[in-house]
Amino acid sequence: MKHWWWKFLAVALVLSASIAALRTPLAPAVVYVDAGEVSAGAAALRVVGYGTRFTESPVQAYLENGGQFVQAMRIEVADDRHLTAHFEVPAGLREDLCDLIVSAPGQGDMRLFDAFFYRSKGAGAATGTVKAPQRTQREGFVFPNRNLLYESIRNLNFHVPMWFTMMLLQTIALVFSIRVLSGGDPLHDRGALAAVQVSLLFAFLGLITGSVWARATWGGWWTGDTKLNGAAVTILIYLAYLVLRGSATDPAKRARLAAIYNIFAYVLMLLFIMALPRMTASLHPGSGGNPAFSQYDLDASLRPVFYAAVLGWMGIGTWLLHLQYRLARLEIAKNHA
Amino acid sequence: MRGAELVHLLKLEAALDLRQRAAWGGMVLYVASAIYTCHLAVQEGASGSAWSALFWIILLFAAFNALARSFQREDGGRQLYLHTLAHPRSVVLARTAYNAVTMLVLSLLSLLFYTVFLGDEPLRAGDPLQFTVAVALGGIGFASVLTLISAIAARAGSGIGLMAILGFPIVLPMLLAVMQASRLALSGALWGETAPYFLGILLIDVVALSLAWLLFPYLWRD
Amino acid sequence: MAAVAAAPLACAAQGEPDWLVDTLYGGGKINTVLAVVALILTGIAWWLTRLDRRISRMEKQQRTP
Repeated sequence: MKHWWWKFLAVALVLSASIAALRTPLAPAVVYVDAGEVSAGAAALRVVGYGTRFTESPVQAYLENGGQFVQAMRIEVADDRHLTAHFEVPAGLREDLCDLIVSAPGQGDMRLFDAFFYRSKGAGAATGTVKAPQRTQREGFVFPNRNLLYESIRNLNFHVPMWFTMMLLQTIALVFSIRVLSGGDPLHDRGALAAVQVSLLFAFLGLITGSVWARATWGGWWTGDTKLNGAAVTILIYLAYLVLRGSATDPAKRARLAAIYNIFAYVLMLLFIMALPRMTASLHPGSGGNPAFSQYDLDASLRPVFYAAVLGWMGIGTWLLHLQYRLARLEIAKNHA
Repeated sequence: MRGAELVHLLKLEAALDLRQRAAWGGMVLYVASAIYTCHLAVQEGASGSAWSALFWIILLFAAFNALARSFQREDGGRQLYLHTLAHPRSVVLARTAYNAVTMLVLSLLSLLFYTVFLGDEPLRAGDPLQFTVAVALGGIGFASVLTLISAIAARAGSGIGLMAILGFPIVLPMLLAVMQASRLALSGALWGETAPYFLGILLIDVVALSLAWLLFPYLWRD
Repeated sequence: MAAVAAAPLACAAQGEPDWLVDTLYGGGKINTVLAVVALILTGIAWWLTRLDRRISRMEKQQRTP
């Protein structure tokens, strides 16, 4: 097999990244509390976790409001994911919304932001609060557990590499197109076509998987998000490239026209993808108001798996291109023979 | 040398256009008919964002119509003659500049017709100057991006259909930016909010023009 | 992970969020990940099949000129 070393590496990377992506547990987190609002006095809150192990070690719960912490009087653990926390809520806390924190050694401080409304607002509680609890550490190699995403955060290692692969292949197509204009070898033209075709495959895969993920996260199959517009524009451009190739009959002219359009469209598309999303708000992480994924713990756990997945899938895409390119080369040789 | 060539080419474009006055009339009539159809369709008057959106759709198709002609009105003989006379880079610069002026005139004229038939309340409620700037920049933007596309489509032998297919995805991002800027203008936003969009459009214009300048000689080789 | 997947069936707590017991997004939306992986593998398999067929056609043409 030709060039077996990087193909083998690509498969190894994709396999290991995918296994890690599917097997790594999610960080324990609090996902639900059964009260919508709480006022001064006794409160019994039923808390539901995900990926939590409440029965494993002593668990503590706190309310946090405006920098002041209220510790639970009593915790009743029902099972690994359910507990009831009894609080004696003081009057006069400063803010309208309270956070709920459940902490256990080995599982870290699991905070549910803006868990419920606080009805007895004041200038700061005088009694009934404790100072900030000592932070517990979370152990183990885990993926971040984010609101709305939960397990689907694993898709980061599958959906996003599709787009990176598409961009790599489009760049390869650009290089082929430049060589068409500066040379005239029909092989470069067929190479450009092959690169565009495989890039469209990955573009459609990225689009469909993104749609499925979007339906689960944002409720709809498509939104007016800038990144989605960029994806649609990219696909339309390369489909138009194929249409252009279809309309020109003379092979030399077709090669040149297609190359010119490819270069023109690629640069403008690059401009669009890089410049405009920074200007507008968006649902996607990393643009507009949302914090970038780098803030989303893309550090210890997600990052190595993600990078491996991206590199691996780019290799797989290049392998597919390599096959298509070799086929084109054989077809040209056959036509000349 | 190059500057004088450009000026001559521009004069040539103007002369050609003057001779084919019917084409200009056709463009204006197209826009007027589209606007009048919208006027009949939208009886009660459109709200701000619908008003703006409808206008841009009309202008988009008018732009495709107008710019498709720019490379198709010459036959092979005249093109060969032009080839021997002028450097292709001057040709594309001159043609883009002329198209930009044409689009500027066409867009402002369309805006005028539009306010006559579909009312100018949304415009008066917002910032008319910003909206007009958006329209002007959008028109010039269409010209700078679509000139090269029109040349490619003309060379491929197909008509406005292919040009629309090739041009639409490239024009779409700029259209989105300019529509967003118009919407902001109609809601009375400050210049500070719309300025990034205007600058973005100018950036796209510059990049598109540079690319056309680079790539056109390869197209002209036939 | 198997324990986590089994847990939604074990609890019948009142007011549990829908997504934990809902079939489509049950198991904490793990099914979206499975759907994504399945789609990607299906797409690539389709592409490889297409390529394989073209190569076979060419090989056949070479054998019978």
